Amino acid sequence: MKRPTFLRTAVVAVATTLALVGCTGTSGTNGSGGGGTAANGLIDYLDYGDFGGGTAPQANFNPYLEATRLGGVDYVFEKLMVYDKFSCTAKPWLATGFKWNDPKTLTFTLRDGVKWNDGKPFSSKDVAFTFDLLKKNDALDTQGIWRYLAAVETPDAKTVTIKFKDPGASTFTLLTEIYVVPEHVWSQQSDPVKFVNAQNPVGTGPMKIKSFNPQQLTIERNPDYWQADKVKVQEIRFHKADAGGAVEQLKLSRGEYDTNAMFVPDIKKAFVDRNPDTNHYWYPPGGSISAYMNLTKAPFDDLAFRKAMTTAFDRDQIITKAQLGYVKAASQTGLVVPGQEKWLPQGLADEGRLGFDAAKTDSALTAAGYPKDAQGKRLGKDGKQVKFTFKVPGSYTDWVSAAQIIVQNLKALGFDVALETPNPPTYESDRAVGRYDMLFGVHGGSCNMFRNFSEPLGSDQSAPIGKKAASNFVRWNDPATDQLLDELRLATDEAKQKEAVAGLAKIMTDQVPMIPLWYGAKWFQYQTDKAVGWPDEQNPYAAPGDNVLVLTNLKPAGS
Amino acid sequence: MRYFLRRAGFFLATLWAAITLNFLIPRLQPGDPAEAIVSRLGGQSQAIDPAQVEAVRKMLGSPDGNLLTQYGDYLAAIVRGDFGISYTYFPYTVTHMIGQGLPWTLILVGVTQIVSFVVGTLLGAWAAYRRNSRVDSVITLGSTFVGTLPFFWLALVLIYVFAITLNWFPSGGGYGGGSNPGWTWLFFSDAFQHSILPAVSLLIVGPIGWIIGMRNNMVQTLGEDYARLARAKGLPRRRIALTYGARIAVLPNVTGFAIALGGILGGTVLVESIFNYPGLGRMMLEAVSNRDYPLMQALFLFITVGVLIANFLADLLYGVLDPRVRREEAV
Repeated sequence: MKRPTFLRTAVVAVATTLALVGCTGTSGTNGSGGGGTAANGLIDYLDYGDFGGGTAPQANFNPYLEATRLGGVDYVFEKLMVYDKFSCTAKPWLATGFKWNDPKTLTFTLRDGVKWNDGKPFSSKDVAFTFDLLKKNDALDTQGIWRYLAAVETPDAKTVTIKFKDPGASTFTLLTEIYVVPEHVWSQQSDPVKFVNAQNPVGTGPMKIKSFNPQQLTIERNPDYWQADKVKVQEIRFHKADAGGAVEQLKLSRGEYDTNAMFVPDIKKAFVDRNPDTNHYWYPPGGSISAYMNLTKAPFDDLAFRKAMTTAFDRDQIITKAQLGYVKAASQTGLVVPGQEKWLPQGLADEGRLGFDAAKTDSALTAAGYPKDAQGKRLGKDGKQVKFTFKVPGSYTDWVSAAQIIVQNLKALGFDVALETPNPPTYESDRAVGRYDMLFGVHGGSCNMFRNFSEPLGSDQSAPIGKKAASNFVRWNDPATDQLLDELRLATDEAKQKEAVAGLAKIMTDQVPMIPLWYGAKWFQYQTDKAVGWPDEQNPYAAPGDNVLVLTNLKPAGS
Repeated sequence: MRYFLRRAGFFLATLWAAITLNFLIPRLQPGDPAEAIVSRLGGQSQAIDPAQVEAVRKMLGSPDGNLLTQYGDYLAAIVRGDFGISYTYFPYTVTHMIGQGLPWTLILVGVTQIVSFVVGTLLGAWAAYRRNSRVDSVITLGSTFVGTLPFFWLALVLIYVFAITLNWFPSGGGYGGGSNPGWTWLFFSDAFQHSILPAVSLLIVGPIGWIIGMRNNMVQTLGEDYARLARAKGLPRRRIALTYGARIAVLPNVTGFAIALGGILGGTVLVESIFNYPGLGRMMLEAVSNRDYPLMQALFLFITVGVLIANFLADLLYGVLDPRVRREEAV
């Protein structure tokens, strides 16, 4: 009787192994709970989600290498001003204020008493050095700032004067968004483009890098920070994640993250309902996702046709079915409301949102010379059925379901539409060279109003069909638009800027260069068992990605 | 001798073809590495910033240019063993990145492949030895059933039960955030715990192919005339099974094993993605989606050369083991 003995041995062996492993357990990983408030009134630590850097992150704290740096840089380096990206208001940061001496000269006054985290004082020399660094190494100039600048000068240690080639108001957000680095460290580097800054990166920010391995990045409070009294978190631990994966969702619902930013299907059931008192989410709107029509082709080159099409799409169905109700319908103006509502033109119904009205589209199309024949086919001006394709990247599943709804809407109107699902690179290159009839495009959503409108609409961003357009993929070439964009680019005062933006918003509604459908959501989940003060719908003091703004508003729970 | 020379010549020709295709295929595909990297940063619902694409393109240097000069540079670099700088992990080199991932993949997949092969072959032999018994049907039906389950589903069930519900093992990663890679006991025990779930999932599906292959081969060899003769001569059943059946039936499995070892990298993508394991499979997936040509090419070259060498060795081994192969070629 050999078998039973063998079986018994095997069972015992397996059980022992499991017990051993079970005892040591997952001590290496984090669990929920633990880490309450320490005696000094600080939160011991918070668990955050991914820190970037791909599947095998390598130490890289060079803030300009946006594509490969790790997430912690946002807490180590600071900018002259910090934008609350929800309402797009600039807050004084390393600079306490600014002044336009003339449309081509901008002066920043720097904050007193700021120190680098190695103890050396921060001064205007560092700011000038930073700008020169970007000039000498254009690969680091990710905002493309030196296309606009003439010179950066430092009259004294607390003043920085920026001179532009042309009036520079439209580039204000770009230059305040640049991370300032210390001259005494970076001037020692022979090749700043390949500098990974891995050992104790020196910055002015609220946190310092404490430890890093490819599974976890830990940053700790900088006690000498210029507003250290506002930072109530001793330590933040970022955890390597397979972003958006099923396992990450399980970890989130188990409470392993104090905050995370990921897509979760049915967030209410998967996360909030687990503990409605502490588990919350807030998904403010980002850029608009629009139906792009190839304006060089009939019938899309016909304004009456495009106007009729604005009510052809069932946005509510796209939002509830394809987008799980996480976002809202987009305004035809191209602006992101409610955050940017102060830019809306006067007297616009429902913030420029257009509803779904197939009957209205039908009669408008007929009136515009696109009648239906006896079989219900929609005829073009050549008397043949209107036939075109709608392209969507096959792997963007939520976009595919949105496209299916759109195709349904179009077929109901009598069009002969085919859905094509290429892979994303093909999709992107087809869109860029204009090889399409209709597809989705993304635009706007940043705090730079000039970019929000010039990128999708400026004729300098366009190109002939067959050539790659920079960002004007619909090929909108309109002198009136370019004129307004020019006004917006040059305007230094807000009233003038608002006038130009309102003009552009009016072009969006009257000329319909594209049809905004829904807003991309900014994912943001958080728990309030350890920390409170996260931004939310009632108190939208920042957008989810505004890391330092959020950090300086967090407080221990129950305080 | 002629047989071996021919095999060697064939090996070199395929190697050259593989290297050349490896150079060409990524370049014939649409897409721009700079745009792929920037759009990965923003996600699908965010407008791509042209200035940033421009900066990333400058950072990476220009991958476009004359295809022929690129090919020349590429061959010269391979000879030097220089695979360039990875786009995804700029400014780290491809060699550095492969060095990071290789040990994980080699240990996890290497060990499970060997164990799967040994266990699978033994089980298959056992099933064939006790053909048509309960043991046989349990092994054959069981492995056929498990073989139909999708691997990712199986892996997710394991994670759900043992990591999320019971909390016995970590749900992913190669090691915890608290331990640093190095020659320490803490790190090794941590890495061991992290490897259990992926290893178990591989061990559940790994032996199936070997079981079925071995069982069928051996059932066939046991039906051959020489086995019948041995039985007629009254040799013990066990001896017939081992020396007349298993020894011969295992040959195709050995070739298969050599090829499987060569293809370790390709087969590890799924398991490493699900368990977030820091090996080369996941890195390969990422390299492809980012159009990271240098990293992609180096990894594909690894796979191709691995499979080719394994094939070559298997060919040579066959020539040694089975004289008929050599004779047929020489005629």
